Amino acid sequence: MKRYVWLALLFGLAAPGCVTTAIQGGDAAVIRAKDRVAPAVVHIRPVKEVYAQGRREEVLVVGSGFIITPDGYVVTNEHVAGESRIVRCVLYDRSEVDATVVGMDRYTDIALLKLETDRTDLPTVRLGASESLVSGQTVLALGSPHGLARTVSMGIISETRRFLGEGGGMMSPYNTWIQTDAAINPGNSGGPLVNLAGEVVGVNTRRMSGADNVGFAIPIDIAKEVVDELRENGRVRRSWFGVTLQEMMSKTDDLSQRGVVIADVEAASTAGQAGIRPGDILLAVDGIEVDARYAEDLPRVHKLIADLEIGRTYPLRISRGGEVREILVETEERSELEGKQVEFAEWGFTASEITPAFARRMQLPSTQGVLVSGVQVGGYAANAGLVEGDILLTMDGHDLTDFQTFQDLYQERAASGQRLVLLDVRRGALMRFVLIKQVGEDAAETEMGSDPNE
Amino acid sequence: MAAVRRSALPRLRGGIAGLCLALAMCTASAATFTPAQIEAHYDRVRPALCLVTYSAEVTNPSTGQVAVRQTRALGVLASADGLVITHGHMQRENAEPVSIMVTVGEGDSEREYVAEALRKPDDVNLSFLRIQNPTSETFPFVTFKRDAQLRLGEPLLIMGMLGDSFDHSRAILVRRVGVVLTTPRRTYGLDEPVPFGFVTGPVIDPRGELVGVIGFDLSPQEGGDLYIRSGHPLVYQSGLFEEFIDNPPDRSPADEAADAWLGVFTQPLTDDLAAYWGLEPRGGIVVSTIVPDSPAAQAGMKRGDVITSFHGTPIRAKQDREVVGFTKLVREAGVGAEVEVRFLRDGAPQTATVALTERPKSARDADEYEDAVFGLTVREITTDLRYRLNISDDVQGVIVSRVKPGSWANIAGMVPGVIILNFGGDPVTSLDEFEAATKRVAEEEPAEVAVFCRVGPRTGFFRLNPRW
Repeated sequence: MKRYVWLALLFGLAAPGCVTTAIQGGDAAVIRAKDRVAPAVVHIRPVKEVYAQGRREEVLVVGSGFIITPDGYVVTNEHVAGESRIVRCVLYDRSEVDATVVGMDRYTDIALLKLETDRTDLPTVRLGASESLVSGQTVLALGSPHGLARTVSMGIISETRRFLGEGGGMMSPYNTWIQTDAAINPGNSGGPLVNLAGEVVGVNTRRMSGADNVGFAIPIDIAKEVVDELRENGRVRRSWFGVTLQEMMSKTDDLSQRGVVIADVEAASTAGQAGIRPGDILLAVDGIEVDARYAEDLPRVHKLIADLEIGRTYPLRISRGGEVREILVETEERSELEGKQVEFAEWGFTASEITPAFARRMQLPSTQGVLVSGVQVGGYAANAGLVEGDILLTMDGHDLTDFQTFQDLYQERAASGQRLVLLDVRRGALMRFVLIKQVGEDAAETEMGSDPNE
Repeated sequence: MAAVRRSALPRLRGGIAGLCLALAMCTASAATFTPAQIEAHYDRVRPALCLVTYSAEVTNPSTGQVAVRQTRALGVLASADGLVITHGHMQRENAEPVSIMVTVGEGDSEREYVAEALRKPDDVNLSFLRIQNPTSETFPFVTFKRDAQLRLGEPLLIMGMLGDSFDHSRAILVRRVGVVLTTPRRTYGLDEPVPFGFVTGPVIDPRGELVGVIGFDLSPQEGGDLYIRSGHPLVYQSGLFEEFIDNPPDRSPADEAADAWLGVFTQPLTDDLAAYWGLEPRGGIVVSTIVPDSPAAQAGMKRGDVITSFHGTPIRAKQDREVVGFTKLVREAGVGAEVEVRFLRDGAPQTATVALTERPKSARDADEYEDAVFGLTVREITTDLRYRLNISDDVQGVIVSRVKPGSWANIAGMVPGVIILNFGGDPVTSLDEFEAATKRVAEEEPAEVAVFCRVGPRTGFFRLNPRW
């Protein structure tokens, strides 16, 4: 018996892709599917940029990915290899290759990597179609759970169109999720979900913590579009006009009523300017009828809007109090939810620009200012009483109209060592003056040694 | 870093020396309280201890949600007609005690009385209760000695009670004076923690005098901000609260004189801020946020003004905790009073006459309405809530404070904190409108009710589906 195991192991290592003749029936199908995909699965170890407690740090994380072109484009999750300086990949033949990040999309949690190799004969996966999936169908998850490379787990599709909405700091407005009971653990992220035909049908991305075997994959149909756009433009541009949509069930369960509820309209948005109001029912966009009875129907509508041309005027058909009208609305580009973080080491804090999406979410009157994303214990910023979430509006009387202005003013002061710097800070609905005390190391020691009663 | 290392060794030595000293004193003064003395003090104070039980209605400041929980505390009878001193924790900014009962006596002699909370003193974290005493019953009580001078290491007796499982048996602890703070006023701390049942416990000094009660919060006189737990048991000396025994506070918060209001959020003028603005380092109150249309705003005051004098009292706050004094000064200046406020603007002295108005209702005092049909209890959106939750003035509605489990609102997924803007087609901007809307809908009995709400930064709908 022991010998058998050993033999099998040897076989596996020496000849991946071979199926022993002794295996029959269902097993054979599973192994065939696994062998079809496994050579193209990549074990990814990015050195990821992480911002925590007011510091920029680089941490080694582990994830998974899969090769989609013979010259080495690799699909993974944005949360695996988003902001990474080095992305080390281990291929199925155990060769180590570094990769660069071609592009990423936070809204769908997809990142596209390119292996730094001249090879053009890399094994690739075959991409399937997620649209035709049915629940109950057998699927495999391949990847590196907890760093254990070349792991295969098996389960079924538990639900083909799970709506997760917003929560836990994640949002996925443009896709529903494939839910599976195939074991998905940290490290599986970015790896392929595979059907028994050996086609990739999803990108394993999330799991429900505190639950057993509740994992989620991004449908490959969504991932494909994002990947194509990342390959072409390095980013995904989406159009939008400033409305939050809600399913019809939130207002009525009358089946005869079709459309999508407009739950919120941002004041400064083009939809708001065009006179669209919360409570209106959206019936059609550019002549295409829309209907979202249940929450899981919403991503499709979001996507329809996102795919409109940016900066063009479209007719929306709206029902208000039973009366149908047509309203022209211009689309604009949807901004990233969060700005890029930057560490300001001299003062000991990290900050990011305020994107329009963030400003709306936090009910800020404008995007002016700089958002404090973290403070280091003992740093000047912390000592001055700055806390995460504070918004810096002015520095020494200068308006911080954009992030660059802040960076310039900051650099000047950090370099000159100007002893006191005054910031105007917004904290929730309140304003506060915060004085940064740039005290040199010598001075700090003197202060520590001095008697506070003096 | 070097400075710390230098001082570490001597400090350690001092610690050992101190420990030796403490041990030496322990043996030297162990005879201060003999078992017979302890027993005598126990018997003397015991009848004046009572058990206070009450329901605490705690309002969550961020949602307005009210949670009710049953709780108990030690009480001390301080007058024959039934004045009880207890831990101030029962009356906090967002906590209101209801159904207060005081149990006097133990075992067979146990008697239970309804009591009422009096207005809480501003400067010491104690609550005063008045037993409702229609038959003019006489209660056992204790009297305190003023201005006790305690010495470091002196033994103290602390009276208190054990928990539920011991039927609240009265008990006594021996502790020592473990710390003597001299600034800003003489304050004594114990050498060891005390169990919860000894908080507000009477403290007896070696001379057999009742010198105060146990508390945890540094009063402003101790240089603290009220409600900041020091984490260390302190002796609240009788001088801190004696006036309230002689002249108990008003009967109920309803009788409370309305607080005056200036309409500013402030921060102290630290020496660094003064230096930055080129001002004398004399302290003051910096106006950091000004409430639109408030008395201060109407008098022309602006953000960044530095208040140096209020109603004739010089203001010299340099630290956060000193702002409390200013707040109190404003509150007590009297609604409708015209006060002179001196301040610096861009370094130049200015004077404004401000007509103080009544402090806007806070979340704690907000009116609420409980609808019986849908299971919603809603409150008005008070000014403090607007600032705390960052709700702009153009959001008019009522905020859900409770959702009855199993109610139609609960089934629809409504939760406390949701702001209702429209109920079943009727705009809701006040409690009255909410009441009218719910009553109309309940009368019409529609198959479903769309409720338009604000949840955080977003608006959206909830659908109620009552079975009439």
